[in-house]
Amino acid sequence: MSDLGDLQSLASSISAVTSPFRGYLNDLYEKYKSLNDGKVADYIPELALAKADWFGVCVVSRDGQVFEVGNCDQLFTIQSISKPFVFGLALEDCGRDYVNSKVSVEPTGEAFNAIVLDEVTNRPYNPMVNAGAIATADLIKGNGSTERLKRLLEMFRRYTGREHDINVPVFLSEKATGNRNRAMAYLMLNFGMISDKIEETLDLYFQQCSILVNARDLAMIAATLANGGVNPVTRERALDERYVQDVISVMLTCGMYDASGEWAYRVGMPAKSGVGGGIVSLVPGKLGIGTFSPPLDVKGNSVRGIKVCEDLSRDFGLHLFNAAKSDRNLEEWIAGGEGINDW
Amino acid sequence: MPKVISIHSYRGGTGKSNFTANLSTTVAAKGYRVGVVDTDVPSPGIHNLFCLEPEQMDKTLNNYLWGESGIEDAAYDVSANVGLTGNGKLYLVPSSVKADDIARILKNGYDVKLMNDGFRRLVKTLELDYLFIDTHPGLSKETFLSIAISHILILILRPDKQDYQGTAVTVDVARQLNVRKMLLAVNKAHSKLNLEALKQKVEETYSETVAGVFPLSEDIVQLASEGVFCVKYPEHPVSQEFAKVAQQLIEG
Repeated sequence: MSDLGDLQSLASSISAVTSPFRGYLNDLYEKYKSLNDGKVADYIPELALAKADWFGVCVVSRDGQVFEVGNCDQLFTIQSISKPFVFGLALEDCGRDYVNSKVSVEPTGEAFNAIVLDEVTNRPYNPMVNAGAIATADLIKGNGSTERLKRLLEMFRRYTGREHDINVPVFLSEKATGNRNRAMAYLMLNFGMISDKIEETLDLYFQQCSILVNARDLAMIAATLANGGVNPVTRERALDERYVQDVISVMLTCGMYDASGEWAYRVGMPAKSGVGGGIVSLVPGKLGIGTFSPPLDVKGNSVRGIKVCEDLSRDFGLHLFNAAKSDRNLEEWIAGGEGINDW
Repeated sequence: MPKVISIHSYRGGTGKSNFTANLSTTVAAKGYRVGVVDTDVPSPGIHNLFCLEPEQMDKTLNNYLWGESGIEDAAYDVSANVGLTGNGKLYLVPSSVKADDIARILKNGYDVKLMNDGFRRLVKTLELDYLFIDTHPGLSKETFLSIAISHILILILRPDKQDYQGTAVTVDVARQLNVRKMLLAVNKAHSKLNLEALKQKVEETYSETVAGVFPLSEDIVQLASEGVFCVKYPEHPVSQEFAKVAQQLIEG
């Protein structure tokens, strides 16, 4: 407490602990901790190691306040949550027109791993399905596989504010069992939609899915997007401001596999889920949410994660198109104060 | 709405635990459900006043902070111990007095978030009207937390220069933490002092309300740390002063 700065910063960290909003998150955690629906992904043995009761919820406000409850340090593989951000990097590398010529942005009712391309343009439907994500990974620039991977890891560092590694066994398992993705890549090569460095691009794709993150990282990534592409804590820019809208809009329309329409209607937050059990979702200009709980529903989305986002959206009126007054005012709940009966 | 009241002093020896025990008992005697948490983990003591012996404590606050038990498992109904009759209830969550336990928590620390969550859980599960937090003297992360979380912060000071200075620091911190309401209590005032003048002087110094002034009392000293004074001697002027402070908590 040598100066006011230290006092202020300690006071602010304590305020985050005592904030009614954290109390709310705690209650939410308790409410859904015992919800035992869903099934942990097991298409590769490494994912099946995840414990069904792991559960973490983290919210980062646009000004960088962190609220967390549960297993927010537990690492897991990012899986499909990597896709919108690699799409963002591809946009920075190649520009919107070129990226759009290789990958469409149309939601599809097909499964995420369907081997299907747009019959007229031969483009994969969107960057969130596997075919589209592989075509997107193909666009990432760099001299050879190492440099391309390093650029991806560096990008995630800018989003989260910390260094990331990949889980090598997961990567090798995905690579060994990824023949369906390989088939898609060759189909796209056949139509001239991707370059012929197929194995290098597939490796990059499997590696991007194997990046290790935790729920706090997801919330920080989301808050960075919500903050116009600038990490609210480190103040470093992670994504060119011109492409923030591109990334967020594909999340809204295609982020939750083929439950995206239902999600947009019910929750109304741009989001992306992964089979590792993570969901990243955000309220532009307000906050980012990261949830982690491995059991998935039949559509591949984390059961507890969905519930948490539904409650947050409803209780604080966070649906993008909400016009009604909500029960709780987010800013007031974060700041705390006289008017809030959170006891 | 339940109220959380933190009792703090900048320096030790101000009579904080005694004050907390008497005030919480006075409030409970009015028919409320009251909880007391001894967060003075390095030097716990308030359990003595509530006649709770270490061998009666199965779980303590320490066990909760280590994730070994729920905080409600460390709450003991001490209503009968202090002689409460009627609807009021008094629960105590003690800290462990075992040297090993104290050493462990000093060595490894604990997550202040847990403390915060525990307070909330305790209020809910025991359906408390009032939660009193007895703190460790001085400023620490835990002090900051209990100040920030409380609806009312009571700062106890003795009328001497060291306490005056320390209290000024604490008042600054409490304001920085946007504490909702602050009350001062002057304890151990020498009987020769003009108590009304002392009250005014302290109020002017800090621009905060003085809820009560307690003279240095031989009677309390005689009772030492066993039992709650205001239950045994309800007509004593000191007990009357506690009743006055309790009324301010209930009304405020």
